[in-house]
Amino acid sequence: MRRAADRLFRVATGACAVAACAVLVGIVGTILWKGLPALDWDLLTAAAGETFGTGGLAYQILGTLLLVATAFAVATPLAVGLALAQASYFVRRSARERVRLLVQTLNGVPSVVLGILGFVVLVRYFAWGKSWLAGGLVLGVMIAPTMTVALAERVEALPRRYLDAARGLGLTRGQTVRSVVLPQTRSGLVSGALLGLARAAGETAPLLFTAAVFSGATIPGGIRESPVLALPYHVFVLAQDTADAAARAHLWAAAFVLLAIVLGLALAALPLRLRSSEEARHG
Amino acid sequence: MRRLRRFDPVRWMALVATLFVVAVAAGLVAIFAVHSLPVWRHSGSDYLTGTEWFYRAARFGVLPMLYGTLVVSGIAIALAGPLALGAALFTAEVVPERRRLWIKVPIELLAGVPSVVYGLLGVLLLRDWVYRLLEPFEPLSGDTLLTGGVLLAVMILPTVMTLADDALRGVPAAQRRAARGLGLTTAQTAVSVSLPQALPGIGAALLLGLGRAMGETIAVFLVVGRRDNQWPESVLSPEAWVAAGQTLTSKLGGSETFIAYGDPLHWGAIAGLALALTLLVAASSLVGSRLARRGASGGSDA
Repeated sequence: MRRAADRLFRVATGACAVAACAVLVGIVGTILWKGLPALDWDLLTAAAGETFGTGGLAYQILGTLLLVATAFAVATPLAVGLALAQASYFVRRSARERVRLLVQTLNGVPSVVLGILGFVVLVRYFAWGKSWLAGGLVLGVMIAPTMTVALAERVEALPRRYLDAARGLGLTRGQTVRSVVLPQTRSGLVSGALLGLARAAGETAPLLFTAAVFSGATIPGGIRESPVLALPYHVFVLAQDTADAAARAHLWAAAFVLLAIVLGLALAALPLRLRSSEEARHG
Repeated sequence: MRRLRRFDPVRWMALVATLFVVAVAAGLVAIFAVHSLPVWRHSGSDYLTGTEWFYRAARFGVLPMLYGTLVVSGIAIALAGPLALGAALFTAEVVPERRRLWIKVPIELLAGVPSVVYGLLGVLLLRDWVYRLLEPFEPLSGDTLLTGGVLLAVMILPTVMTLADDALRGVPAAQRRAARGLGLTTAQTAVSVSLPQALPGIGAALLLGLGRAMGETIAVFLVVGRRDNQWPESVLSPEAWVAAGQTLTSKLGGSETFIAYGDPLHWGAIAGLALALTLLVAASSLVGSRLARRGASGGSDA
């Protein structure tokens, strides 16, 4: 009886785990299966065609890369500052807790709300209009918590003797951070950045009102009224009108490219994350 | 913090970053609260309890959208919760340490799939399946609250599972060994030792998943039907679940947000939606992380 119950438990929970993994395989498999046939070199290097859902994705891809790069430039200093503000070696506990709560709160804000905030402040109040910079700023604020958590974890895991040695050598806090903390936690910064960028590359909601248009934009030349095309927004607009079979094929291919970028970034972060969790367990 | 005579770049960076985030968070709440004042003056509490939204007639009631949000995220949690818990029990209690990655890695990647890709699969596949499933009830289309809920369930599955797994693994291994030493099987250990102790953490996982589900926009937008004023005669009747509806996020993500700007009253109504959504999500994630901390505080917190 006990044996049977135990076996049932193993099988039932195992089935749950397998089902969860099967969903991923199903999603990636479907996108591969449907997207691969429409994928060719022109799709990646040509500009969009005259009609809805034809031609290439070059400017959509470039626009997404520009947004992601901007988000990275915005989020990195934020994440470093916020991670240092939570470092137990430098900051007392009550202040640390408050910063942690703050980061958690920011992480909880729905991305569409951040997008509308960007719309009110940057697009309307600063009168930028739709602009790549507005989109990049919103995405940067959105991914800053992800990067902060990854970096703060590594800062906390830093062996205390390194910091004590730095202090013993008479280094100031600035020197300690620059020559000990940041170099030693680089893997946390990189893996957090890759994860955050994967999220930024795939997000649509913050771009709706701040940065993305469906057509008619190329490389932005300034800040004001300089929207970009973006891959997720492209898929989002096409998905609302899927009657045409040719447009469908184009749509699957665009989704494939998007998924490849996002999962590529997430996969690149994986070895670093695994190694650091190993170290945390054994080190 | 130690007082220093010299300029301290570390303190400066930490301070600037923190102040910036404080400004964003406070600005967000303040801006939406102030911008929504016109609609409160116009409608008063009818704004929250009204069931009709006709912006040309200046009638703004958010109840159908609140209902849509709660139904969609409720369905998502009901479907994803048990599956995620089962999978977390498997990775935390059954699988040997070395093999865990075989499940954890795909799940992490699943969390990274962009919501517009989920939305696309919802549009091109799930919508048709739901339509066929509901055929006996003669649905108008496959765009229903149920479709949105199923899609959200898949999307929050990794979040709930990862957090539940963390909670279960937070239970000290010594207790598990002791239970095994008393002759308990894996299943008995999991159910009578690990699970009760991890309960706050699992509650937190569910709440954080709920917050995720309530705030998700793009995928829901594409499959929920976006029909205003869907207020069911009986709140608990599942009939409305298999019909098109509107959620807070699908409304906010729509073109009405663009149109509304410039008309203080209409914009006020939109800003009020954003505020309500933010507060709902923040409440569930704050309660969730509180629970998680209480669950974890049994361990060491140096």
